[in-house]
Amino acid sequence: MASVIKNLAEMTETSSTEPIYDTNWCNMPAEIKSKCISKMMLKERLSLRCTAKAERSLVDCQKIGFYRGRIRKYADRLVFSFYHDKSQMIRKRFRDTTKGYEFLNYICKVGVFENLMIAFDESAAQKEFEKYTGEITAKHVNLEYSTYEMVLPILLKMKDGVESIMMYDDGGIDYIFDEILAISNIWIDEDSKIGSTFQVFANENGSFNRLLMRFADRLVSKDERRVRIRTDNPDRHILLERGLDETVGIDYYDQYFRLMMISAEMKKSEYDDNCKEWIHKIRPGIYGEYSDLEYNLNKNDDFLK
Amino acid sequence: MSSTEQGTSSAAPAEPTTAPESAAAPEVPESFYYVHGKDKVVHKVSAGALQHSALIHGMISNLGYTEEQAKANPFPFENIDGDILQMVVDWCNQHKGKPTPPEDTNLPKQKEKLFDLVLAVNYLEIKELLTYCCKQVAMMVKGKSPEEIREIWMIPTDAEDEAAEKEAKKRAGKEAAGETAAAAGDAK
Repeated sequence: MASVIKNLAEMTETSSTEPIYDTNWCNMPAEIKSKCISKMMLKERLSLRCTAKAERSLVDCQKIGFYRGRIRKYADRLVFSFYHDKSQMIRKRFRDTTKGYEFLNYICKVGVFENLMIAFDESAAQKEFEKYTGEITAKHVNLEYSTYEMVLPILLKMKDGVESIMMYDDGGIDYIFDEILAISNIWIDEDSKIGSTFQVFANENGSFNRLLMRFADRLVSKDERRVRIRTDNPDRHILLERGLDETVGIDYYDQYFRLMMISAEMKKSEYDDNCKEWIHKIRPGIYGEYSDLEYNLNKNDDFLK
Repeated sequence: MSSTEQGTSSAAPAEPTTAPESAAAPEVPESFYYVHGKDKVVHKVSAGALQHSALIHGMISNLGYTEEQAKANPFPFENIDGDILQMVVDWCNQHKGKPTPPEDTNLPKQKEKLFDLVLAVNYLEIKELLTYCCKQVAMMVKGKSPEEIREIWMIPTDAEDEAAEKEAKKRAGKEAAGETAAAAGDAK
């Protein structure tokens, strides 16, 4: 008992010798400041990082979660919209693109997005993404009106944990399907987890055949709708499915594809034949269930569910 | 130590406030410990309430104090103001054995008190209360511009910071020179 009391006395003695507190933000230890910053919304963080260099470096080290974020070029401005949750939105517009890209760098570094939409179609933005050395953290990524050259640097910078990637283009930009299929290579190399999904629609014939040629030595099975290939991990296969139903027939102009990492144990009877849901995710309105207005709302305001 | 024992209203009752356990479980008498801050006012707190503080909980685990020993050996937290320690004790008592709510609106709104509370809570390692406090600190600057934040939190500009640093260096240099001169004088 005596030794316990002695230890306790020593411990409390230590506590008593610490300095009397100063009651000012500047006297707070960095770890507490960081904890307070982590409770701030984007607007306040941006204000705080403008107050002094020391505050800026603290703010820049703190990740910030967003329900969704949109980064796009509108007219001659870079426009950023962020939702902390479904109701609280903050928007920043930059006419000065240098400042805009500086902000883009910051937000890519600290943002942790549930849903992230990037819509750019200019080479300056592409260079910025190429120059960016960090990772982009998002669960669901939506790339709109982004050129093929833009898409790859963004995808390559995505941090692990991406659950879905959507690419949508209304302006006739061509993505090279072979290169997009390179995602299979990435999955093979990085031993991605079961359930990882990659969906795309294309309007060029021969995509299935090209996958077959590329992975001929890994082929497990093939039919009109599905190609299944082996990965380096004996437990996992990759399934490429073509979405076909009563609306999207074999001769439909657009072709819908889904690449999915599956268990090697998965039986053919376990395949999901209902492709309506995932086709609809890539192409809202395809089944004619929306009016034009609803379609636009969906496309613009709820880009991922 | 001239200790004024202060039994806070919520600290006094010994009956457990946790959900009732099975009827068969024997009732264990609750043990109490004593803490005091800079003002030496002693607060009697139950072990259950003190569980919120990882620091104190670590100290008292397996201590096996009798009531007399606990009374005779209050934990001295002389780096914490008495009123701040009182707030902490009250909070621990109020939330004894209860799940903590997502928000706590009873935290001080005054800047100095809140910062003192944050530091005390951080020192005492009361995780949930620290989260509330940090949230409250963040709320202080909600919707404020950089200038307003600088004013509220008295954050010096980089220029002011550099000037203060230069001044401090100058002062330190002068003091060092003074000490050297004094030492030389002593040597003579």
